[in-house]
Amino acid sequence: MSRVVKKRFTPKVLPVSERLRSFGEVVLGYDYETSVREASRCLRCPLWFAPCSKACPLRVKVPAFLEYIVKGDLEAAARKVYEDNLFPSITGRVCPQEWFCEGSCVVSKIGESVSVGLLERYVGDYARENGLDEKILAEMVSKNSGVKGRVAVVGSGPAGLSAAGWLRLRGYEVVVYEALHRPGGVLAYGIPEFRLPRSVLDHEIKKVENLGVEIRLNHVVGKTVLLSELLSEYDAVFIGSGAGTPKLLNIPGVDLNNVYTANEFLTRVNLMRAHLFPEWDTPISVGKTTLIIGGGNTAMDAARVALRLGSKPVVVYRRDREDMLKTARRDEVLHAEEEGVEFRYYLQPVEFLGDENGFVKAVRFEVMEPLNELDERGKKKIVGTGRYVEIPADTVVIAIGLEPNRLLMEESGLRFNEDGTIAVDDHLMMSLPGVFAGGDAIRGESTVVEAMADGKRAAEEIDLYVRRKKGLA
Amino acid sequence: MFRVTMKEDLNEQDYYLEVEAPHVSRHWRPGQFVIIVTHERGERVPMSVATINGGRVGMFIKKLGKTSVELYRDFKVGSSLYAVAGPLGRPLKLESYGTVVLASDAVCGHAEQLGLAQELAKLGNKVISIQTFKTEKEVYPEKYLAKKYVDEHFITTLDGTAGYKGHYIDLLRELLARREVKAVFAGGVLANLKKLAEATAGLNARVYALVRTIMVDGTGMCGSCRVRYNGVIAYACRDGPWFDARLVDWDDVLRRDARFKKVEKIALDKYLAR
Repeated sequence: MSRVVKKRFTPKVLPVSERLRSFGEVVLGYDYETSVREASRCLRCPLWFAPCSKACPLRVKVPAFLEYIVKGDLEAAARKVYEDNLFPSITGRVCPQEWFCEGSCVVSKIGESVSVGLLERYVGDYARENGLDEKILAEMVSKNSGVKGRVAVVGSGPAGLSAAGWLRLRGYEVVVYEALHRPGGVLAYGIPEFRLPRSVLDHEIKKVENLGVEIRLNHVVGKTVLLSELLSEYDAVFIGSGAGTPKLLNIPGVDLNNVYTANEFLTRVNLMRAHLFPEWDTPISVGKTTLIIGGGNTAMDAARVALRLGSKPVVVYRRDREDMLKTARRDEVLHAEEEGVEFRYYLQPVEFLGDENGFVKAVRFEVMEPLNELDERGKKKIVGTGRYVEIPADTVVIAIGLEPNRLLMEESGLRFNEDGTIAVDDHLMMSLPGVFAGGDAIRGESTVVEAMADGKRAAEEIDLYVRRKKGLA
Repeated sequence: MFRVTMKEDLNEQDYYLEVEAPHVSRHWRPGQFVIIVTHERGERVPMSVATINGGRVGMFIKKLGKTSVELYRDFKVGSSLYAVAGPLGRPLKLESYGTVVLASDAVCGHAEQLGLAQELAKLGNKVISIQTFKTEKEVYPEKYLAKKYVDEHFITTLDGTAGYKGHYIDLLRELLARREVKAVFAGGVLANLKKLAEATAGLNARVYALVRTIMVDGTGMCGSCRVRYNGVIAYACRDGPWFDARLVDWDDVLRRDARFKKVEKIALDKYLAR
């Protein structure tokens, strides 16, 4: 065996100077030669062992598809990926690979892990740009004979799209109900286009529609159509309604003008294109300095959006950088840092201060310090010091997390956990027979890839359920 | 989809717009609203519902900002809106109260009166409606007034050119002094709802107000519409849009309503100058 290349090959990246006023994609990815070289760094662990594949919520057979890249057979590589993951162009871009495949890569014991994400993205993009994805999916769906049943999917985010795709591939008629006027869920309203270009997302959604999935926009389940109606009209229902409600800080001044939740801030830009106002109708009001409170991916996204809107972003996190990397994707933190986002650590907000017109002008923080103790998520516990600092800001974005949207709760018959997540059994089925759920709706805040994995598994469980119900299994 | 089926002037600034949206009309209940998007580049605008006719949803709209002016000028019968979503918000839990007063002084309030009046009458209430306009020539055509659904109907004008001279709050004060009013439902200008809340502070009756806010998604996802209500944060889109008027922090509502004043003007000026 040749000697292992310890360093990973770097992808093309948009220069920082070109990013500041542009929403263009930052990571431009590998070209063919680099992807072959990078894939060659893989040690080809056998699949029964491959820790990367085991760490992947979708169980993508990483060494197998990398081997095809090395051989130069990109179509075979794409087929291999599609066996487990219908959306490699999305996961390749937004997965926190360091927590999954790359985090467990054997090469990382002696050097840098193989860049699985960038390679998955390369294969996904190659398939998309060459029409292979549609071809592969058409072949996969043609293996079914006849329609096994009808399933309603609630929400067109990662969980819903995945469930819809896999159900269709299993021979079901699928109708997706989406509350907004555009499909994609968090992929459309939450993730900025410099991380996931709209053209890529639109194509991935079109791909699912071309499989024969119908997406009904402007339908709020629980309002426009009731769960009970879906249950009588379909053989089963999958709920992928996400963690759609922002947590707010219960401190004075949270209602001041220009204090946004991250969801509002990001939705105005990502979904409603407020950065193109007034060519697009939705406005956003951003001042000279934007304080972003929080340290997760959403905080990074909000900071980098604020930067591109011409404001100076300061991310304020109540712990330190090391702990931030446990909640935010490493690349996003690095990109934010190199773009000039300022970071302040060990500060916890206690009050928003406003001017005479009711607009925020500063935030008061308590200085925190770490204890020599870890919490259940492996982060250092923190405690207030009784010292306070004030940071001037004319815009604030609260990015401290989300909880499930409780709209569905208003319909009876469903069991919810105390935190608002939907309670499901081992088969992802809720207290109501025939109703399955996955993604953030059951997990609270999680990742795109875990939502997609839930969607995929739910498709399997729904298939079993429906076949049993119809006496076919 | 979402075809415009009717458009009619209510007065010089306000108009009636009716669109096909059968998915919305099926489950709509009084108190709920819709969100409309004019075209792909449009904003999501919450609208009160005035009428539900078969699968058609009718709204009262004031020519105020870019979207409402554009909708009036560029959309004709037969044109289609990009999106209509709903019904959204919580339906009002209406009861048999006895004597109730409906009051309004702007498009959204006038619109909501129609549905509320019918439903309250059905529940056996004695319904009094007060509709306030600035002056006589702004009074809506009769078929768009709540008159036909209520027991007593009052027009008030600020200059006294038609009906009672004054605002609905003035007339309401008089009514409250001599009648036993059990519930009040008011909608329209936010600053006047604040006055209403003050005017009815000690009143032993229920007082509900339509809290019109700036929304984005309208489903509880973004928090744009948050309202300080009874000391905690409520979302007008999910928990409202109707609230107990006396538990609403109206200064908070008024301040948040002014959030985009500056940029809203830019959009309208640019549209008018094209």
